[in-house]
Amino acid sequence: MTTSPLQAAPAKSPSPRGPRSQQRHGFRAASPYLGPGMLGFALFIVVPLVASLIISFFDWPLFGAPQFVGLENYRYLLAGDPAFWISLRNTLIFAILYTGVNLAVALGLSYWLMNLGGRWAAFFRVLFFIPVVTPMIGNALIFRLMLNDDGIVNQMLGVVGIQGPQWLNTPFWAMLSLVVMSLWQGMGYNIIVLGAGIAGINPSVIEASRIDGAGAVSRFFRVVFPMLSPTIFFCTIMTVIGAFKVFAQPYALTEGGPGNATNTLVLHLYRNGFSFDKLGYASAIAWVLFVLVMLVTAVQFSQQKRWVTYDS
Amino acid sequence: MKSVMRRPAPSRRTVLAGLGAIGALAALTACGGSGGSDPTTTLYTWISNENDRAQWQAFIDAAKESDPEFALTLEGPSFENYWTKVKTRMSSGDAPALLTTQAARAQELDALLAPLEDLAEGAGVDLSQYNEAMIAGMTVDGSLRAIPYDAEPMVLFYNRALFEDAGVELPGTTYSMDQFLDNATSLTSGEKYGLAISAGLVHLGMSVGFANGGSPVTDGALTLTDPKIVEAMQFGFDLVVEHEVASAPAAVDSEPASQQDLMNGKVAMYVDGPWMYQAYEDALGDDLGVAIIPSETGEAKGLIQGSGFGIASNAQDQQSAFASIATITTPEVIGAVANSRGTFPSLASQEERWAEGKLEDNVAAVTRLAHDGEPLITTPTWNEVDSKFTQYATDGFQGNRTAQEILTEIQEAVG
Repeated sequence: MTTSPLQAAPAKSPSPRGPRSQQRHGFRAASPYLGPGMLGFALFIVVPLVASLIISFFDWPLFGAPQFVGLENYRYLLAGDPAFWISLRNTLIFAILYTGVNLAVALGLSYWLMNLGGRWAAFFRVLFFIPVVTPMIGNALIFRLMLNDDGIVNQMLGVVGIQGPQWLNTPFWAMLSLVVMSLWQGMGYNIIVLGAGIAGINPSVIEASRIDGAGAVSRFFRVVFPMLSPTIFFCTIMTVIGAFKVFAQPYALTEGGPGNATNTLVLHLYRNGFSFDKLGYASAIAWVLFVLVMLVTAVQFSQQKRWVTYDS
Repeated sequence: MKSVMRRPAPSRRTVLAGLGAIGALAALTACGGSGGSDPTTTLYTWISNENDRAQWQAFIDAAKESDPEFALTLEGPSFENYWTKVKTRMSSGDAPALLTTQAARAQELDALLAPLEDLAEGAGVDLSQYNEAMIAGMTVDGSLRAIPYDAEPMVLFYNRALFEDAGVELPGTTYSMDQFLDNATSLTSGEKYGLAISAGLVHLGMSVGFANGGSPVTDGALTLTDPKIVEAMQFGFDLVVEHEVASAPAAVDSEPASQQDLMNGKVAMYVDGPWMYQAYEDALGDDLGVAIIPSETGEAKGLIQGSGFGIASNAQDQQSAFASIATITTPEVIGAVANSRGTFPSLASQEERWAEGKLEDNVAAVTRLAHDGEPLITTPTWNEVDSKFTQYATDGFQGNRTAQEILTEIQEAVG
């Protein structure tokens, strides 16, 4: 019996190394690429997170010796500091108003820009995006001048016979001013992202719905919205997280006032840490905020199956 | 057949080169944070505006008169941000060895400031020559933390021309609250108000309360609800809400706008410290008048807010740092700055130099308050009190809450 050269050849093993050896080799190859990123993640995310958790159990001044106080900072936060609950309420109000209006208007504008098309659409996209790249502190200073009692807004209202409110000196209008300024600054980002999502929808699907007789409203809710839902979901997550972290706007526009009407969690945290010399308490607030944002995000993820469709 | 190409793993040399590049970048970043100046000749202080910068420069220029080699590098944020940032800045590795503090904030910066008695003795500096009240204000836990360069009572600046145009008698070294209110009412017409008000804690209301015998701090504890302080703060709110002789201050950063209103002739009066004297005189010339803070009896009692130079408690070379302080706190330097910038000196021997070129009645009013005054001594939590008051003051100036309610809330929150 003769054997062909092929038959004579020894059976070739898939690899001269075992799975573990392959894993090790893969890790060695990947580590130079992952290393810098992971090092940065560890240094700038993990270490500060752990450090802030430890600090939150201390009475920790900016300058001087810390003193271990156990859970006292958390107890004071939950049961002794009325400003915490007010700032939490303000943050929630801001987050709901800002996220809701931001997404609704950004969605409407990006849909309108899609229908507009051409150079005008490009022009308006740039126009809406310009505030996003401007510094928030600068925006706040301009808005402060505009919204002062005798600022340009009230002067213009006066021209048409309306006595403008005290935008920054009354709780309701101060919060509204904060939301409006934040919307003006932040909406352009969502317009661009949602616009990109709409541009990614297959035009033949839109065309088919049009041929089937769907009107603009019906087409939007029954075709565009479901196909855009992953993008909307992304925008919702990012906008909510951003809204919970609101700081520069109340810091520069109202300083959290009048009273505590626009005091937010991060402003309260900043003041306690760096103005009131209570780094431990500020760290406790940071952890509560962290857990809160994680919970809200987790709830959003858990509910996405109800309305987000990934079928294109 | 699909071929699978595996990219070769980077060589050790590539990895080392990458790490080297990261290291070099890190080193460059580290270099960027330090100005590289000698800490013992670097002063961390408040520099809110050109007026502040000119004042610090006046110290340097005066010191150079006797020591041409003297050098001092200035560094720092605005006055409002100074109290927030100073602790962080002093914690860093390249922190300046010199810093400033108000007597009112010496308690708050206790841990940052080194005791100076031994250093002063070693350098032959006679501490007894400085204003006694200011030395008391700069003393924390029995040790001196800063050498005062001024001892400045809050005063009432006014515009003489506006008073004369309205036919109102000029205020002087006695001034009652009733007279003050009458004058403010007479001086208010159309778009011009009798006075400007700032939303800050230590301005008109606190100065009047102090003049009436009240104190926001007693025996080291907050006493914001002292009836004299509460009444005076409410008086300040009422000037806006009830009497309408001043417009409500802006919700944020109201002081610069109020100062501008005085300098532009939009208002007739504004309470501020003599450290603004030169800036106001530059704007108003001989129309600048100074009166005492009004009180119930009309008699003067000054709320003194002097400041001084201290040494960081973590400074390596405290003796060299003190040499810098000693150079800028000699009678000659303090007198020169008092003369050129209008800051009321912490040395009685230099009051005449301060008075040179100033109108006699202005000199009389400031001197009266300085001599019949007390330093504002506060608590380590004063920054929190100040922040909260600024935040809540809007409610008071809108008539939404009373001074009693606001001060009680702050007193309870800060304790």
